[in-house]
Amino acid sequence: MAVRSEAVYPVSWKQGRIASWLVTVDHKRIGILYIVTALVMFAGGGLMALLMRAQLTTPNEQFVTKNTYDELMTMHGTVMIFLVVVPIMAGFGNFLVPLMIGARDMAFPRLNAFSYWTYLLGCIVLWMSWFSASGPARSGWTAYTPLSEAAFTPGHGQDYWILSLHILSISSLAGAINFLVTIHNMRTRGMTWMRIPLFVWAMETYSILLVAVLPALSAGLTLLLLDRQAGTHFFIPSQGGNVILYQHVFWFFGHPEVYIMVLPAMGMISEILPVFSRKPIFGYKAIAFSTIGIAFFSMLVWAHHMFAVGMPIGLDAFFMISSMIIAVPTGIKIFNWLATTWRGNLIFDTPMLFALGFIALFTMGGLSGIFLAAFPVDWQVTDTYYVVAHFHYVLFGGTMFGIFGGLFYWWPKMFGRMLDERLGKIQFWLMFVGFNVAFLPMHMLGLLGMPRRIWTYHHGGLWETYNMISTIGSGIMSIGLLVFVANVWIAHVLRRGVRVGNDPWLADTLEWYAASPPIPHNFDSVPYVTSARPLRDLRRRLAEELP
Amino acid sequence: MPARVRRKLPVLTFVLLAVLATAGAAAAANGGFTPQYPHSPNAKSINHAYDLIFILTAAVFVIVETLLVVFIWKYRSRGRRRDVEGPQVHGHTRLELLWTAGPVLILAVIAAFIFVKLPAIANVPASSAADRVNITVEAHQFYWQFDYPNGAKSINDLHVPVDQVVYLTIKSADVDHSWWIPQLGGKTDAIPGRTNHTWFKADKTGTFLGQCAEFCGVFHEAMAARVIATSSRAYTDYIDKTASADLGRAEFQGVCATCHGMQGEGGYGPAIAANPILTQPQSLTPLLRNGGRALMPAVGNDWTDAQIKALVDYVGKHVYKGATSGG
Repeated sequence: MAVRSEAVYPVSWKQGRIASWLVTVDHKRIGILYIVTALVMFAGGGLMALLMRAQLTTPNEQFVTKNTYDELMTMHGTVMIFLVVVPIMAGFGNFLVPLMIGARDMAFPRLNAFSYWTYLLGCIVLWMSWFSASGPARSGWTAYTPLSEAAFTPGHGQDYWILSLHILSISSLAGAINFLVTIHNMRTRGMTWMRIPLFVWAMETYSILLVAVLPALSAGLTLLLLDRQAGTHFFIPSQGGNVILYQHVFWFFGHPEVYIMVLPAMGMISEILPVFSRKPIFGYKAIAFSTIGIAFFSMLVWAHHMFAVGMPIGLDAFFMISSMIIAVPTGIKIFNWLATTWRGNLIFDTPMLFALGFIALFTMGGLSGIFLAAFPVDWQVTDTYYVVAHFHYVLFGGTMFGIFGGLFYWWPKMFGRMLDERLGKIQFWLMFVGFNVAFLPMHMLGLLGMPRRIWTYHHGGLWETYNMISTIGSGIMSIGLLVFVANVWIAHVLRRGVRVGNDPWLADTLEWYAASPPIPHNFDSVPYVTSARPLRDLRRRLAEELP
Repeated sequence: MPARVRRKLPVLTFVLLAVLATAGAAAAANGGFTPQYPHSPNAKSINHAYDLIFILTAAVFVIVETLLVVFIWKYRSRGRRRDVEGPQVHGHTRLELLWTAGPVLILAVIAAFIFVKLPAIANVPASSAADRVNITVEAHQFYWQFDYPNGAKSINDLHVPVDQVVYLTIKSADVDHSWWIPQLGGKTDAIPGRTNHTWFKADKTGTFLGQCAEFCGVFHEAMAARVIATSSRAYTDYIDKTASADLGRAEFQGVCATCHGMQGEGGYGPAIAANPILTQPQSLTPLLRNGGRALMPAVGNDWTDAQIKALVDYVGKHVYKGATSGG
């Protein structure tokens, strides 16, 4: 294929500052659109979390009403999962995968643009549901039947919620297929499967999982929509429907979804740690195959969310053992990351801080998961704040720390300017401390008997103490996030961000061969890849050739 | 190298033990470090399982976080240039097998321990089949109804005899709920169209608190339950006499008052104290059975005539303030 050297947007009106973003099919711009949109959604979801924390600070608080609380709780979960984490990973994948494998763009650039714009439509539909007749959905992000049926949740908020998730599923499915085709077909010369960056492995697995489990969600939600709108009764027990069926279908999607959200973050960690340890990743193959292993087992563990519904003990035992098996490849990753830092030359730039923070916090989330996998113990802790603590350690302490590490790491590649390191470090420490202050006490609250999703509580004493501490922690974290906003503002609006060359971190992978920011067609030429670390090879060759 | 490791081993062991001891002390004081102090054999066994997992995972946690901190400290750059590389180690098969086998072993121990403890948790003690008490728990938006063997009913307060096996049959009349009294065992979901079972055996007299653990709607938080364990005599007294005499009050305060206020003064729902419908069983009954036009759930969709009569009698006498005195 001949490389185009003329302007990429030859029609004049398409070259406008805004118009060029609207019509773009460039994977890098689409990636940035994804990331920026997801960060705006993150601010919205975070604001809802702060409102909930304010309501829970003291017992018998009346800061928001019961109904509002239920709406906040439902929308916070839905926004963070479907509008923030899954699409921001698609954003990183979009920006990075073609660059990392030495491709010119994604396999289907127009489909790629379609994915982004349907994602934005899904966001709009979900947020607009606040204005529907009786408010947005308020049956939890899981929308368990029969509570989410029309009889118990009247109004159209729930219908908009279903519509939005359908739109987002289409977006994610198109994106996932695009990633798969790109990774399988567009790797540059020499980029074999054992040389692709581990983040690409993670995106491959992310995509396989999305293709495998999104249809289950779509089917379940379609049945729910039919129940609500067309008078069917798939999940209405009084008319012969089955409530548990919904839970099975939902969690068959819902548990792999956790790994859809966390595996790409693990991929980012696997990129960042070696670069800032000045060492190769320890056990490339083990990490790549454990990613695949986690993906496979993630589809066999769904009913560990349902231990209390009264399944036969044999099934409980099966899902306990499968859930424990999945801890093994997770453990492999953690030990391999630790070994990567062993005897390295550890440089604590902000991406590295977030990567190390990921290891520290994700370990906690992984270990508290073992309590939940052991089903008799789960009978005590499920549906309490213990679970809330557990999955925030995985999805915030894990995934979001990974995402911020990734943002600081790839920011110069995306925008050509560095974010300020000192502000970055301040942000990290505020978030790390705030996170633990906010979520560690939730384990205790759960064990003290505080169920999740309650609007208020009537106990003083320890319940109040821990809730108060937790709210303070959420405040500390939000200051950290404001520091990030300030950092971006200073770097870009005030243009203080230091301009950098192709490879400011002395990294290993191919995206650092491109300019910062990369030219529209990414590379004028791509070096022949002979290892998993083409940029290091290149640096060494240059060093040898120069006297 | 091995000598250095040997020198540090006692220090590491000491740190590990100190951390475990602190954790143990914290757990004993129960500031929320273990499930609540159990008062039923099944809850006790769950706590044993919890304790074992706590010890093993705490050990893994300490190992991982210690390694992390030690590596961060030991291998920090110390002003070395960025292009100074560490040893280019790509992996170590034996080491990697070791940290695969380690977790497998730990998890196998946990799973085995769970299976050993399982009969004491899941199985209803067989010897007491004759004198066990069978009670049906029916979850509603937003209250618990208990049906005793003699036909008596109570709302939100479950009276049981101490030291006797109580076998619960758990149902739901509307949406998913979850039965949970932390000191008496784990959760059992109440799911419409399904019948679940659980059991407990209170080992002392007293009141055990719990609340609905599956999000069930706007008053999920208010759906509290109390288990009141008394002597066998007091229990028999309760179900034979007190329960039926007290039913109307219990129904009003446990069911209606959640939305309409303890005196019917209104709250989330409208004020009803002055509403003449309280004195008209023919209008009140369909409202209870089918729910209201707007938000009121069908709270009494499966109530017996006696239950409805008890409520009508109670509200007529104690809640209704006359059409004019309201406002």
